[in-house]
Amino acid sequence: MQYFYRFIAVALIVTVVVVAFVPGVDDLVEQIFQRYLGRAAR
Amino acid sequence: MKIVKRTILIALSLLLIPVTAVVTAAGKQRFADGPNRVFSGGPLESGELHTGSEPDWSFVSEIPTIEMQLLDPPRSRRIWTAEFNGKLYVWSGYMGTVVGRLWKRWPVQAERDGRAVIRIDGKRYERQLVRIESGEVLDGISAAIRSKYPSQTTRAAVEAGDAWVFEAAPRD
Repeated sequence: MQYFYRFIAVALIVTVVVVAFVPGVDDLVEQIFQRYLGRAAR
Repeated sequence: MKIVKRTILIALSLLLIPVTAVVTAAGKQRFADGPNRVFSGGPLESGELHTGSEPDWSFVSEIPTIEMQLLDPPRSRRIWTAEFNGKLYVWSGYMGTVVGRLWKRWPVQAERDGRAVIRIDGKRYERQLVRIESGEVLDGISAAIRSKYPSQTTRAAVEAGDAWVFEAAPRD
């Protein structure tokens, strides 16, 4: 389990860095979120 | 029992990754000059500010969405718009659902303080949002909305509070 928690911690840091700094990734995340939000609101 | 606990813990940990991605993307958008899709953006700063006489709003029939920022709080979002009888209207649907009320907080904020800035094709306009809750004018506005968008907005829906309609009137 210890290795799993380490993996999650690294994955979270990588996620923040990628979404914040790689062009287009934030838009992709928003696009997917929009799809689920639209469904949930109906 | 231990396996169930561990499975739940793993699932929640994995769920943290997409949640972090959404929170990061939403946070990043707050610092941008305007919104993107659903995440609120920062204040609308770029673009010439319109001065002079009231524009002929009929041109918005060709515009799918506009950017709108309230002065308080100074956050912007992308919304649908329609013109009817020379006046400009914006609205928010889903106001009768819990998710909708959590998602769309700007209508409540606009009812409190209607001062707004809208940006269309890079040009900014200072407006005052005035909520329309009832009246015959809603028949015409609803028809304008339905003819432009795949919307089911009706006068009855607006009067029932399921959709909140605002006139984007000139600011005094």
